[in-house]
Order: sequence, then C-alpha cells, then structure tokens
Amino acid sequence: MKGLAALALAPASRRIALVVAALFTCLLAASGQASGHAALISSEPADGTVVAAAPPVLRLTFSEPVAPLVLRLFRPDGSAVDLTDFQTRDAAVEIGLPDLPDGTSMLSWRVVSIDGHPVGGSVSFSIGAPSAERQLDAASDTSGAVRAAIWLVRTVLYFGLLFGAGGAFFLAWMAPGSRAGTRFIRATLLAGLAAAPLALGLQGVDALGVDLGGLLEGRIWAAGFGTSYANTVLAAGLALAAGLLGSGRSAGPLQKVAGAAALVGTGLALALSGHASAAQPQWLTRPAVFVHGVAAAFWIGALVPMAAALRSPEGPALAGLKRFSRAIAVFLAALVAAGVVLAVIQVIDPRKLGGTEYGLVLLAKLAIVAVLLALAALNRWRFTVPALAGDAAAGRNLRRSIKVEIVLIAAILAAVALWRFTPPPRVLIAEAATPASIHLHSAAAMADVSVKPGRMGPVAVAIYPMAADFSPMKAMDVTLVLSKADAGLEPLRRAATEIDGVWRIEDLQIPLAGTWQIRVDILISDFEIAKLSGEMQLKP
Amino acid sequence: MLKKLLVATSVLAFGATAAFAHATFEVQEATVGSTYKAVLRVPHGCDGKPTKVVRVQIPEGVIAVKPMPKAGWKLETVKGKYEKTYENHGSQVSEGVKEVIWSGGELLDEHYDEFIFRGMLTAGLPAGEMLYFPAIQECDGAAERWIEIPAAGQTSHDLEMPAPGIKLKAKN
Repeated sequence: MKGLAALALAPASRRIALVVAALFTCLLAASGQASGHAALISSEPADGTVVAAAPPVLRLTFSEPVAPLVLRLFRPDGSAVDLTDFQTRDAAVEIGLPDLPDGTSMLSWRVVSIDGHPVGGSVSFSIGAPSAERQLDAASDTSGAVRAAIWLVRTVLYFGLLFGAGGAFFLAWMAPGSRAGTRFIRATLLAGLAAAPLALGLQGVDALGVDLGGLLEGRIWAAGFGTSYANTVLAAGLALAAGLLGSGRSAGPLQKVAGAAALVGTGLALALSGHASAAQPQWLTRPAVFVHGVAAAFWIGALVPMAAALRSPEGPALAGLKRFSRAIAVFLAALVAAGVVLAVIQVIDPRKLGGTEYGLVLLAKLAIVAVLLALAALNRWRFTVPALAGDAAAGRNLRRSIKVEIVLIAAILAAVALWRFTPPPRVLIAEAATPASIHLHSAAAMADVSVKPGRMGPVAVAIYPMAADFSPMKAMDVTLVLSKADAGLEPLRRAATEIDGVWRIEDLQIPLAGTWQIRVDILISDFEIAKLSGEMQLKP
Repeated sequence: MLKKLLVATSVLAFGATAAFAHATFEVQEATVGSTYKAVLRVPHGCDGKPTKVVRVQIPEGVIAVKPMPKAGWKLETVKGKYEKTYENHGSQVSEGVKEVIWSGGELLDEHYDEFIFRGMLTAGLPAGEMLYFPAIQECDGAAERWIEIPAAGQTSHDLEMPAPGIKLKAKN
C-alpha cells in the first residue's frame, strides 16, 4: 500500500515541478517582450571582402548586446572549428581567430539577445584572395591503400592482356610451333586471371568509398558489378582464358582461334570502359580504343617470345620474328593514329596538358613511347635483317634492345594504370561547366536557380524569377538565402543584382559540399514577397 | 519527458517573444462590423538604421480609414477603388484609403514608437480568421518589410517578417 502511494506521488510531484518550470520559462521570456531582436549591423572584416593578412580578431557588431551561442568557423578546405575564444564589448562580439590559410573562410554565428531571442547568420571573408576553383580529383576521397591496390591490380591486368594475350597471339599466328617465352606468357595470363575479379571488387570498394576490408562484403562486389568496368573485366577474363588456350602445347586451328580471340578480347576489354571509351563521339572513341588495344597487344605480346627466341634460336621462333617485322609497321601506324585521335579528344586544349595529372601521365607516356619508337625503328632497320641472317652480334644487340623495350613498356603500363585516378581535361572542363540547378515554386511565383559550377568553392548564381504561369516576372528585389543545417551553418544571405532580367550573384563562396537548403526571396511588389525554398546538391 | 516538455515550453515562450520583436498591433482582436483602432508598434529600425518612412497597406474589407497625424511626420494616404462596394452607415462606398504613409520622420533604432489609424471592419469579413495589414519601415537604403502572410498550415511564428494582423471575432 505504501509502495503504491509512493508510486502515485512520484508522477504528481514531477508534474508540479514541470508546471512550475514551464511557468517560470514563460515569465522569463515574457519579461523581454518589448525589446527588439538583435541584428548584425557590421562585421570586421566585412562580409564578402578580401583582406591582405589573416586578422587576429573578427568583430561582429550588433544592434544590441548579445551573447554568442555558437561560433563556427569553416576554413577554406571546408573543415569546421567551434570558436570559444570571444569577448563581448557592448553590442560587439570580438572573436579570436585561429591561424587561417589563404582563401575564403566563413564564420557561422548564432547569438541570443537579452530578450532570449536567438538569431543567426554567416559572414564570409577571404584572406589574400578568394578561394580559387579547386582542381578536380576524381579519387580524392579514396584512401592511399585502396588507390595502391587498384593501381597494382590494373597494372597486373594490363600485363596479362598485353604481354599474355598478345603473346598468345604471337605464338599462335606468328610463330606456330614455337615455345619461346611461353612460361612468361602463361604466368602473366594466370596473374591477369587472378587480378581480373579482384579489380572488380576494388571497383566496388572505390565506388562505395569503403576501405580494403570491404572486399569481404557481398554488396561491394555487387556495386563493382554494377559499373561499366564489369564488362571490361568479363572481356578481359575471356581474353586471358583464350590466351591460355592459344599458348597451349597443341598447335592447330584451335590454337589459332584462341589466339585471335585473345587479341580481339584484349581490344574489347579496353574499349568497354574507361575515360577514353566514355568520351564523345562514341562511334570514334570506342573503335579507336579497340584498335589501339589490339595493335598494342600485337606489338607488346611479340617482344618476350622474340627475345627468348634470339637467346636460343629455333626455327619457328625466328620465322615469327620475320613475320612480325613485316607486319609491325601497319600495326604501329594504327596504334599511333588511334592514340593521337584519343589524345586530341581527351585533352581538347594542349595548354591543359602540363596542368593536369592526366596530362602529366600522358606526357610521361609520350616520352617513353618516343624512345620506344626509336628503338623499334633501330630494331627493324638495323638489327633484324642481319640477326635473321645469322649475325651473332646483331642478334645480341636486337635482344638487348628488345629487353629495353620490354622494360619501357612495363613502365608505360604502370603509368597508364594511373589514369584510373586522373580524369582527363575533357572531363574536368565538362565538370567545371556543369551547373547545379533547381526549379523552385510557390503559389505566387517560381524561380529557376543555377549555381555554376555545381560544386563548393567560388560560384556564380543566376536566378530567373517567373510568375506562376511561367511568364517572366519583374521583381523588385531578389535575395538568396543559403543554409546547411547538417553542418550547423547559419543562413548566408546575398542580395542579387539584375542584369537583363536575370538576377545574379557573381562572387559567392560555397564553403562546403553536400546538401544545401536554398531559399529565394522575391519581392514582387512593395507589399508582396514570395519565398521559395528547396534543396540543392553541390559536389566537392 | 520533463526535459522534452521544458524545451517545448521554452520554444513556445521564446517564439512568442520573437513575435514582439516584430511590428505588431497593440490590440490583436477585433469584431467584424465595428470600428477598429489600430496601434502599430514599431520596435526597431532597419538593422541599426533609423526609420524614415512607415507604410501600412489596408486590406480589402476595411473601409473609412482615418490615420492619426503624428508630430514630426508627414501624413499621406493612397486612395483607390475597392474590389466591391460596401455600405457605411447607409451610404455606398466603393473607394477609399488603401495605404497610409507616415514619412519625413526619424525613429532611431534604439527608440520605439506607435503609428495609429482607425477603420471600419466591414461585416462581410470572415470572423474567426486573421486579417493582415502588411507594413513597411523604410530607412536610408534599407527596408524592413513586415509583409509575409502565413500560408495554409503556417502561423506568423513560422515567418521571418510576418505582417501585423488581428484575429476577427463574430459580432454578438
């Protein structure tokens, strides 16, 4: 019975406490009734300005004394820090700033005035100069270990396709009956076959942005399978398997078919995914990649068996060397022509070559290719004929030269595997030009808003106000209000200026990527305002 | 539970406070079919700047508006046609004051002032609903526009710059 009373009493007393607390809160709030809300009057540095050196203190001056609740500073790289070192002086708040790098930083403030009314806003300022447009880096969010694994696996796969499948073609078609270099060719084919599925899993790891441990999860593999790279892996697997068949001991029609399949499969594997194949026009780029891949496999695949044949000359292998030296000119011409076409499409502007990672890889590749072509010409016109005629010194020179070629090609393949991480200038230019846009509407008005480029950093905003029937609207004033609730970023307001019916904000700095709450306030007439809101995704 | 309720109460209470930081009427309820004396309370300037002009838009259904002159301010009205004809003490009226403007004054941000007018709330106005009088404070190169009218499902508390309004009551 006693226990029951206690039970009954406990909630009752709690309720009383609650009512008292609630009443007290009301009273507290009501006492501030007549006073106004605090408004930011000025800031030092002022919103949107550029200062020469990092100021030690940022001063916010309000219309009345305030107490800061949250002062969050967003650095140029998007990282945030809550500032706690501040002093209030009359209606001003002086905030001690940490060391800031050059670029645009933003302070998001939330203060409470004496009457308990919280208000917030954001002030952006730049040190030295506004943040420049950032270099796009497709894999910037991929960890070093994942990148290294992807690079290694791709390189092994390229070895398997070019040295392995290409070598199988050489054995089947150029030097039937020869066993020269077979062990190396089959080793690279097997390594490639092991690498192919792993490449797919790593593709999934990269796509979902997890670490290498993700390889143990089914969803990662499913994600990898969902990308266009799955086609490449499939074709590569078939080419490698065909290569194993084609480099087998049994010479005959089966070996020939398998060897041809290995060569064609290599071209297909390379053409089915990747930056180059994705470029427009597809009718040109995909065949160009195919031709480039087939010709490269023909050339590269022949090198190891030829070097082996020159070490211990045997009839079939030397016959292969002879056939190869007759055919290589055509394949090299195709290789170079397709390569030039792709480079032109990918780079667009040669001045971009040195400035992008893609361009640096291409330049490195071209430098090695130049040396390679010189060696190939030397082999073809100086060494091959005497070597085939039985000149031992020429044979040694040819073998040495081919070995250098092999090393250089290995370097090219390792370099080309880096392209996985470097979007070509074509993509960078397209990305930079892609605006993020959104259509906002309410009963009274609509607006098309475009943010260009559609990513963090400096952007230009264009707002097209429209009446509810899509006709252009003559607005008196347009204001953009941006906020990012998930980052605790208070609203950033910018007034737009009208240029030929489009309301523009030219020098806006977006400090963070992700989902932004966007609002456009359109003053339709003195007494009528439309506030349109929505959400917009901005890329890093 | 206690915490949740306290937070909710504070939000409510502070929300109410916020409303007082806006431009509002002193008396926020009026009966349709009667004369209403509107006292517009202007709590502050435009972000620190003094208010030079106060403009109030008269909504449809409010007729026979007479603003009260104010020392130091020039008083003007903008007249125009009503959407329909109203009866006022036996006579038909189809036009009248649609906007009241007090200009040429100087109300500092740290000061408070009231702007008064009266008008007839015609009997046809919907009792039980809110009636809004959009108002503008103009300062040098800036303005505070108390012109937002809540959409369906919203109240003035949801708005940044709500128009001052009154709750209409039915005539007994």
